[in-house]
Amino acid sequence: MYKKFTISDYIGYIIAFIFLILFIFVFKLQIIESNKYKNIAEKNIVRIQTIYPTRGEIYDRKYRPIALNKPSYNLYITPGRIADKDSVSIFVSNNFDIHIEEIKKIIHENRYRSYQDILLIQDINYEKMVIISEQLNYYPSLLFKAEKVREYHFENHFTGYTGRITEKEYNTLKEDGYSINSTVGKTGLEKYYEDILRGENGQQVLQVDASGNNLEFFKHNLQVAPKNGDDLILTIDNDLQAYVSSIFPKNKKGSIVVMDIETGGILAYISKPDFDPNLFTGGISTKDWNELISNTDKPMLDRVIHGTYPPGSVYKPIMATLGLDEHEIDPKTKLAKCDGGMWFGNRYFKCWLEKGHGRLAVENAMKYSCDVFFYDLSTRFSLEQLNRYTKQNYLSTRTEIDLPGERRGFFPSRKWYIDNYGKYVGILGHKVNLSIGQGEILVTPLQICAYYAALGNNGVWKQPHLLEKRIEAEHTFKNVFEEKQLPISEETLKLIQHSLYITVNERYGTGTASSIRGIDVYGKTGSAENHMGKQTHSWFSGYALCDRFEIAFNVFVENGGHGGAVSAPLAGKLISYYDGIMK
Amino acid sequence: MKKFEWIIFGLLIFLLFIGIFSIYTASSTRTGDNFIFTNYYIKQFFWVLISMFVLFLLLKAPNAIVEISIFPIYIFTILLLILVLFLPEINGSHRWISLGPINFQPSELAKLFTIMALSKLISKPFLNDGQILFRSFVITIIPVVLILLEPDLGTSLTFFVILFSILLVSDLPKFYLVLIISPILSILFSFSIWIFIAYALLLIYILYRSNLDKVLIGFAVAINTFIFFITPIFWNSLKDYQQNRLLTFINPMRDPFGAGYQIIQSKIAIGSGGIFGKGFLMGTQKNMNFLPEHHTDFIFSVIGEEFGFFGCAFILLIYFLFLYKIAKSIIKIKRKEYRYVSVGILAYITFQIFINIGMNLGIVPTTGIPLPFISYGGSNLLINVTAIGLILKYLNERSIFA
Repeated sequence: MYKKFTISDYIGYIIAFIFLILFIFVFKLQIIESNKYKNIAEKNIVRIQTIYPTRGEIYDRKYRPIALNKPSYNLYITPGRIADKDSVSIFVSNNFDIHIEEIKKIIHENRYRSYQDILLIQDINYEKMVIISEQLNYYPSLLFKAEKVREYHFENHFTGYTGRITEKEYNTLKEDGYSINSTVGKTGLEKYYEDILRGENGQQVLQVDASGNNLEFFKHNLQVAPKNGDDLILTIDNDLQAYVSSIFPKNKKGSIVVMDIETGGILAYISKPDFDPNLFTGGISTKDWNELISNTDKPMLDRVIHGTYPPGSVYKPIMATLGLDEHEIDPKTKLAKCDGGMWFGNRYFKCWLEKGHGRLAVENAMKYSCDVFFYDLSTRFSLEQLNRYTKQNYLSTRTEIDLPGERRGFFPSRKWYIDNYGKYVGILGHKVNLSIGQGEILVTPLQICAYYAALGNNGVWKQPHLLEKRIEAEHTFKNVFEEKQLPISEETLKLIQHSLYITVNERYGTGTASSIRGIDVYGKTGSAENHMGKQTHSWFSGYALCDRFEIAFNVFVENGGHGGAVSAPLAGKLISYYDGIMK
Repeated sequence: MKKFEWIIFGLLIFLLFIGIFSIYTASSTRTGDNFIFTNYYIKQFFWVLISMFVLFLLLKAPNAIVEISIFPIYIFTILLLILVLFLPEINGSHRWISLGPINFQPSELAKLFTIMALSKLISKPFLNDGQILFRSFVITIIPVVLILLEPDLGTSLTFFVILFSILLVSDLPKFYLVLIISPILSILFSFSIWIFIAYALLLIYILYRSNLDKVLIGFAVAINTFIFFITPIFWNSLKDYQQNRLLTFINPMRDPFGAGYQIIQSKIAIGSGGIFGKGFLMGTQKNMNFLPEHHTDFIFSVIGEEFGFFGCAFILLIYFLFLYKIAKSIIKIKRKEYRYVSVGILAYITFQIFINIGMNLGIVPTTGIPLPFISYGGSNLLINVTAIGLILKYLNERSIFA
């Protein structure tokens, strides 16, 4: 007789077998191999190290530098190695421009990141690094790392700048591989193209003993190489950019944009006054920051896309086009007589020329920029028509340039007036004013530039952009941007173009200061009254064609005076300079 | 209460207190001479109290109430598993339902009630083999598919262990188990046509010799052939990261910075504990935060580091005594359904212990399976204690149904 095995017996054996396996492996780890693991644990040598990618650089259209990486020495602290929090804080604070309490705060915030290196000071110069390195024996928690920081080659508004990640940014970005020491694009292209510029982290497991020997404990290939960020090639021309920046009147505010008509690529982009983005490298000092934000000229404001202004007479081509294409006027129609102004209801609307222009047809009204013609024209359209038509010409709507935070601009509607002025507001007077780009209408200089570029490009509106292409290792990617059609008929376009031409190239035209021999310059002046100062905003926008290049431009000087007198000559200079470098 | 299994109950209580004690040290951090404690161990203590309360309710509850609640709760659980797929992701998967401070995994509940529903359905008298197979398949596949969608590969595997263990002790001829295992093997072998052909020939031979119904054999061959063709298609339709995730599941070292890193760190912690360990609260690997999930999935490595070989061996011994005692008493449960339930519970708890400790020792893939009765985690603890409570209840009442 033998004992019959029951289910319980079988299950018992299976369980015993399973626990035997576990026991054997526990025995193996803790008895047989224990010394090996004790070694590793004591020296605390196995650690993940993130290898950060190199940020992509930014170049102009001819591959000349705009924003590059330069080597820099950065000081880090490892919270787990701090012997005495006070003494190390005092040491750092004595040697660098940082308050002792700020260091203590950083240490406190990172007290659980015992064995991570926390960035303390960026961009330390070599001499200082050498001097301090000699004292680091006393402070094992401090270490220098040779890394890279951004260097911008000229003052500008479009590159933006990078900065150390904030706690709040870190919390939203940590999933994407950012660390507490990461640098992120804060404004401008650095922010807009952050994903492209940044690249991807790599990682490696470090397994060295105290004297730096590889223990070869894990015989796996424990490294993932980082993928560096792509370089950006911009449409900017550094020469033109520098020249335009140099001719802008000193002590004036404003902007100049130059754009390639065919592509929408921006050749020059300045906003004055400007600031040096290098100030932000390694963290801006409190003094510099206060200076920047307390300056009443607002150097941080990018006037090209963040400033909105009444366009004044540069708006007039839109009115003229509307009148012609809706057949309210034909090319020969003469409207109300200008004797220095005209009455509407009980209000007298002045023309900019006190002695008056007489009765004009549309081309001459454009050439002389006669306000009365457009006042009269505006009475034939409803406010909603103007609103819609303005938007259809891509004013009061974002151009979607590749920069963050672009402003939309504004064109009022009936509802807006009623909401703001009450039910019985007289729309007519406002409408008359809007017809010459005055009143509540607000545009960005970039919108105007894009509009004039489209006039020069047979009515094809190109999305303005700064990125020409990006370079990933050996691959080049050209970016594709949008193009749209302006609502304008062919005959009307011809007429508008002609009127812009005579404005510059015929005697007594308002824009003659920009005319250049050998190049066909088209343009329109604007002198917009505004509440910011006594002087009008000075506008001049248009385009220049020749067999070597086709560019559109917008020159805007805040409270600069008359467009024809202030902005038009600047346009002339920049065109002939560009002509010079294109020869 | 004469027949109450005090030894099993006593070992359970002992394990629970080992758990609280381990969580106390595992969730502490040492900085210099100071210790920082979290309140996880206090929370765990309250969960132990709640679990005890539920356990006593269960023991006192009339059997009829437990009986009639099985299918409604099973269906309710399936609905929860569907619901959880539509809730926001937590840590990259749809496993948890958040109820205020408590995160609850419906798949925990699903395990227990799948066991009960399955046992009830296939222990009915006069079932033929086909009926048993069909019922097991339907009851198990629904939660498995839903849990795979979460995705939670580890937990879905648990269901196969449950199904397999219950069918093993059922009246079903053992040949049928080949039918259950063969599709899984087919999936693995379908990546190489030659291995698959060899495997298919072997399978056909076994089936041929098994005297099974010809229709069933045909069915088995059809299923396996179908899987052979569908697996590569399914595999190629997966996105790269999904393929990677599966490959990493099988071989964590593919991902030395994720799953592999944890295993490296866990092995260092346990191995460096040596014979006697580094002492209570003194684990260095733990303190350096090298190890993730100290107080949940990797609590065994903290025990191993601080209490060494003796600590680990002691834990293994207590677990073994506990499970062995249950295994030995299962023979005393005469009613088929209850026996199936007990075997299912015993199998999945043993499986979880094996997978978790095996993961800590670096011998099985990393899955999010906690260590039963010891890891921190409210809903998991509650379900495990309730499951043991069920076995205790069946043992307690065995005379009535004998």
